[in-house]
Amino acid sequence: MVKAVKGTLVKCDASIKAMLVKMDEDHNHEFIIEDLDEEHVLVKDSKLAELKQRLQSMMKERLKEPESSDSD
Amino acid sequence: MSASSSQALEYLELLPAQTHRKLYEQPSTALAVFRCMLPHLAKTIVMAMLYMTSPFTASDLDAWFRHDSKRERDKAISVLEQLHVVSARQDTPKHISYELNKGFGRSLRQALTGSGTHRSFGVPAQSTEERASIHFLDQYAQRQWENMLFYMVGSTVGLATANLGLDVGEGTKTLLRSGDFVRVTHGRVSITRTGFTFVLQEANAQVWSLLIVYLKHAPQLGMSETDVLSFLFMLGSLELGQEYTISTLSQTQVQMLEDLSAFGIVYRSSSTSSTFYPTRLATTLTSESGALSFSSTAGTAEAGGSLSSSGTSGARGSASKGYIIIETNYRLYAYTASLLQIAVLSLFTNLTTRFPNLVSGKLTKQSITRAVKLGISSSQILSYLTANAHPQMQKNNPVLPPTVMDQIRLWEYEGERVEPTNGYLMKEFASDHEYKDLVAYAESLGVLVWKNEGRRMLFVERLEQISLYLSKKKGER
Repeated sequence: MVKAVKGTLVKCDASIKAMLVKMDEDHNHEFIIEDLDEEHVLVKDSKLAELKQRLQSMMKERLKEPESSDSD
Repeated sequence: MSASSSQALEYLELLPAQTHRKLYEQPSTALAVFRCMLPHLAKTIVMAMLYMTSPFTASDLDAWFRHDSKRERDKAISVLEQLHVVSARQDTPKHISYELNKGFGRSLRQALTGSGTHRSFGVPAQSTEERASIHFLDQYAQRQWENMLFYMVGSTVGLATANLGLDVGEGTKTLLRSGDFVRVTHGRVSITRTGFTFVLQEANAQVWSLLIVYLKHAPQLGMSETDVLSFLFMLGSLELGQEYTISTLSQTQVQMLEDLSAFGIVYRSSSTSSTFYPTRLATTLTSESGALSFSSTAGTAEAGGSLSSSGTSGARGSASKGYIIIETNYRLYAYTASLLQIAVLSLFTNLTTRFPNLVSGKLTKQSITRAVKLGISSSQILSYLTANAHPQMQKNNPVLPPTVMDQIRLWEYEGERVEPTNGYLMKEFASDHEYKDLVAYAESLGVLVWKNEGRRMLFVERLEQISLYLSKKKGER
């Protein structure tokens, strides 16, 4: 019998996906419903915003980029 | 079908069959749905079936299509079925025939031939001494609508002290809040993601978005959805500059007039007047031609304190005139005195200087990422800039400098590493055949987002039609 699961499909780079999966593991698997393929994961609707926010802060931590100067 | 009516179509599709049936009793509604909600192919099918006396067998319909156009056919039929314009009947197994909804057919025939005494196209008022001119109506509509937009944008970018956007009615404010266009925290109004999408749309699409929110809240205000909808469709078929009587309107519709005149969609000389005028916002509701254009507008120029009389009269003529120039070094110059336009620009531009008829600034990484954070997408920004580019820029191809376009996209991509889509994952198919069949169907509907053949899974945006299809299949077996 065919099953339909409600959720949000998240498309991202493989590297970003690795970070998402890591975060999921650190939080008792409360974000990801199913790992689909290299660039797609199925995430709980209600957790998407939180996941995005965590990703942003994680990126900020890991990637230090030079501040571009806008003076001219 | 224009982009603006597609969201109206989406809304219509979700209504139950009963509502559809009631709606189709009005010839004006049937005509409006036919004219601007249906894809071209669906129109052709409806036209062919309009004067048929007996049901139309599926095999006959198939004979009209090339084999490689099955996709288009499925799409057209599925829209028609969703709207309950056409219904499929299973006479015997393997023998399906289609039938046009009786009410829809009758109403559309009446609309086309002008027969019957339905009066659903409005009744012009006989009198009166003083008629409002088209020019006046345009100005009125523009003022009301821009006030509302400015209420949303202005307060976010900190221009709230200007005298524009203050006389927005309480009803309108409540509506904007309940549609999640703005959010009020500690008495301060700030715009939301939905609100941004709304502001950057073209006028006609804006009107529909707002009206759909209105429709969704109609039951709470004690109005019947059907009444509201058929009135809107009627408005779309009225003539600009003509005065109409309210004596043929229902209670709900009279109540609506008040709200609609607050939006600038209709004009009434006083709230007790027995007549009303549709404005351009109303009469373009169900047509493909653009509604009011809000570029160099007289109404806002006035509020900006630099009104010239030529600006007032020339505004309509130069309606589609662009005003933005962008250089390859990301500098932006906008020939405008309109506070609304300045406010919109400052959502994603770092504006530095303002002259009487010009503002200048620069697109920076900061300003773009700020906009992206607020929920505006790079493609929205680009389409806004393209649509409003200065005539001199319009001569270029592409209109905007490619470097700037790419950079804006890259800036956005930097902040947005994931691309979410809401929907449903379908899995655990019994057979390969079953899986492939559903993939093909989902693809033809245009709801397929992702599939993986190895694991027999697919992801769809919408489930309603898919589940209908599956249960139909089950029935066949």
